[in-house]
Amino acid sequence: MQSANMLLKKILRSSVLPFAAQHGMKKDLFPLCRTLSVSLCLKQDNSCQPSEKLDLDAWKKVMKSGLQEEVTETVSEPQELSSLAAARETLEMWRLAGRSVPENMSEEQLKTFMECPSKSAKKKYLRFLYLKELCKRNDKRKMEEKRERKLEAQEQTSKTEETQRSPFMSLWDSTMDKAYNWRAAQSMIFGQPLVFDMSFEKEMSVREVTNTVKQLVLSESCNRRSVDPFHIHFCNFKDDSLYHKEFLKYYREAWDKLLITMTDQCYTEVFPKEKLIYLTADSPKVMKTFDHDKIYIVGSMVDKSIKKGVSLARAKRLGLETAALPLEKYLLWNTGAKNLTLDQMMRILLTLKDTADWKKALEFVPKRKYCGFLNKPVSELKKTLDLMNTLKFGKRQQEVQKEFAKIYSKKYKLK
Amino acid sequence: LQPPEKPLDAEEWNRLRENFRLPEVFEEVMLNNMIRCNSHIDVAKSLLTHVAKRNGDVAYNILVKYLTLCVQQGQVSEIHDVYDIMKARFKILEIGAYNLLIKGLSNSDQWRMALTILEEAKKIMIPSRTSYESCIKAASRHQDMNLAFELHNEMLAKNVVPTLDVLQSFFDFSRGVKGAELQKELFGILLYLRENQIYPHKTFMQSIKLWFESIPGENWRGHLTNIKDSGQCPVCNHQLEDSNLSEEEYNNLSERIIRDVIHGTDTFRKTSPQEFEAFQTFVENRLPFDIVIDGLNVSHIKPRKMQCENLFDAIKCLAKENARLLVLGRKHMLVNSSNWKREIMKEMQNKADFFFAENITEDDAFLLYATLRSGKHCKFVTRDFLRDHKACLSDSLTRHLFRKWQRGHQIVLKPMVSSLFSQQPAFRYDCVVQTTGDTWHIPYKEVFEEKYSYRIPRKWLCIQQKR
Repeated sequence: MQSANMLLKKILRSSVLPFAAQHGMKKDLFPLCRTLSVSLCLKQDNSCQPSEKLDLDAWKKVMKSGLQEEVTETVSEPQELSSLAAARETLEMWRLAGRSVPENMSEEQLKTFMECPSKSAKKKYLRFLYLKELCKRNDKRKMEEKRERKLEAQEQTSKTEETQRSPFMSLWDSTMDKAYNWRAAQSMIFGQPLVFDMSFEKEMSVREVTNTVKQLVLSESCNRRSVDPFHIHFCNFKDDSLYHKEFLKYYREAWDKLLITMTDQCYTEVFPKEKLIYLTADSPKVMKTFDHDKIYIVGSMVDKSIKKGVSLARAKRLGLETAALPLEKYLLWNTGAKNLTLDQMMRILLTLKDTADWKKALEFVPKRKYCGFLNKPVSELKKTLDLMNTLKFGKRQQEVQKEFAKIYSKKYKLK
Repeated sequence: LQPPEKPLDAEEWNRLRENFRLPEVFEEVMLNNMIRCNSHIDVAKSLLTHVAKRNGDVAYNILVKYLTLCVQQGQVSEIHDVYDIMKARFKILEIGAYNLLIKGLSNSDQWRMALTILEEAKKIMIPSRTSYESCIKAASRHQDMNLAFELHNEMLAKNVVPTLDVLQSFFDFSRGVKGAELQKELFGILLYLRENQIYPHKTFMQSIKLWFESIPGENWRGHLTNIKDSGQCPVCNHQLEDSNLSEEEYNNLSERIIRDVIHGTDTFRKTSPQEFEAFQTFVENRLPFDIVIDGLNVSHIKPRKMQCENLFDAIKCLAKENARLLVLGRKHMLVNSSNWKREIMKEMQNKADFFFAENITEDDAFLLYATLRSGKHCKFVTRDFLRDHKACLSDSLTRHLFRKWQRGHQIVLKPMVSSLFSQQPAFRYDCVVQTTGDTWHIPYKEVFEEKYSYRIPRKWLCIQQKR
């Protein structure tokens, strides 16, 4: 390679085209000739004259010289690729082009990829896998760093040989687990029921179901850890459903030991109807206080495409009472949908149950969704806000002034 | 990072690279900036040479970036070289590179090469619409209209939606050419506009007009005009198609509204079966209505007035010549409140039929049902664009039917300074591309981009053949 470059440089220095043609390298030099003629034309504009010793097309030589062996290789390979292999090939090219494509893909993932109905669906799926891979890799790296640090720390302590004795017995995780389980078991006898309605599988995509199960697992764990847990019921739960399959992925053998009531019955069959309250963001009724005698129902549904009124329809069909959290009343809402994740719901309900303090409970609403807590009712704030907006945009000046004067008559006098 | 003005040698590149924050991506960033500043191609070449000498290879993404620069500057021979190298180096290319190659080559005299690359790209994915666009434009620029239409049809068959630009180019390049086949294809495009309710923009309209007028021996003449409210063209006195649906279309639409909009996946989402049944019997007993009014929507027209007064004004304004009115409302209107006075409500109920739905029911669906059930003459009043209901319909054909029906049957009230309202009546004629054989009427938009899908153009191109 190096020698070829040297040769080229020499040719260029002598810079005579016919000379190149005379030389026995016609084939290799062909592109060179073409581009040389181009650069000859370019010489007219002086601003961009290549310095004499620079060979601008040397890279093409390099690329082609590296090829000779590879070309023979590819020819010997079978031309017909299976569709899977072809897809893999395309993905590899995308990765080379710098798109967000995962490095490794399993056969199953590749099949899902090929079944995506549209280009954008494919892109989204790849991006999802790519980010997942990235997260995994980062986690692994962090774990390794942590392990190293631990080892180092151990070495140091072993050097100093100073084992401190604590006056308390150390409580291990298993002991904690036992305590939590004791509480959960108690709640199964004496606790207030909380129902998760598991009848939404048909309304969700596979991704949404997996997300739902993840949120349910989180809710279960924070319920178990609370001081006074709910007695969780999974109602309308079918044994061979997608929910069940996903749960098994998380819990494995622990699934059968969970301190939760699972039933394929509807909540109306398990509990008296007049005690049930269906919590849904679409409800026209707003929850005022947390009632310890009622049984609240939460729909186990992740709803990315905002299917309005699905859970309200369930409650309507069964003639149940409904309620929504008083988000508007206590929070100055900023952005985002008013439906919260299941674990956020769980934390809010647990806090309400323990403290009956709305402000404390609504701390669990994501901070990005609201601007702040309200100490005045919204209607009053809205009035001032409207006034401010009209003042800002200078519309209907007179009317605004009049209104302003009406509200703030003491401080402001109209002349 | 400013790209250099002149080609640099290896040492100079090395120095620049070392001074850069992230040496690993130096080449990429540099090439990106070259593309942005449209640097001279020799500068990029010298960078590539430097990379090749250092690594013995040039990475794919760098090649693609270089290709982008070449395409941007129309360096055809360079595009060729890069293509040769890529093809020899990689088994297949990805769609981005194909797009670039097609775009670069279709503008040159080697445009046929772009077609072979398009064929190659088809093997791995459906090519983008811009790729098709480049090829079609190249073919029609070189007067190979057959090929252009072939590609166009292929594109439609693959559900790739052509840009208005491509469609326009067909008319531009066919100007002055005679041929029965060609004419048929271009009429086909006009019918495509009709079927999909697409309105050409002003420059596109000009191309259509010029093409018609250029057909040798056929003597077409085009005029720009505004159609009267009666639906008559002032230029040729031709009466435009009316906006009524055919019997079959009408039945189809009513059925689909009931199935998709009212019931959907779960009847309880918008109403309840009992309520819908009650509404059905209510409507059947009082059929047919002339105007159906969305009470809540109308009551908000003037924000400074009491809501029931607004509704009363609207009813007074619409109740002429014994028109039978149906007002849809919600139960909360019946509760005496500051906005809904019981006496006024009583008085209104003498003038029109009222149906009060539950407070959480979506009454728009009922509005559609009652209007459709009353027959073709019945109109409805709301300021709502009904976009969410249109979206519930599952296929585009029914959505087009819905739009057409909506245009012909929706009355929009507008607040006026004096106490009454101005009515924007439903259109009597249908606003689509239409023909009678020796005339064409084509609605067009003044501006290029479509801002509101519900807004329809008022300007028309009238083309007629003078024998």
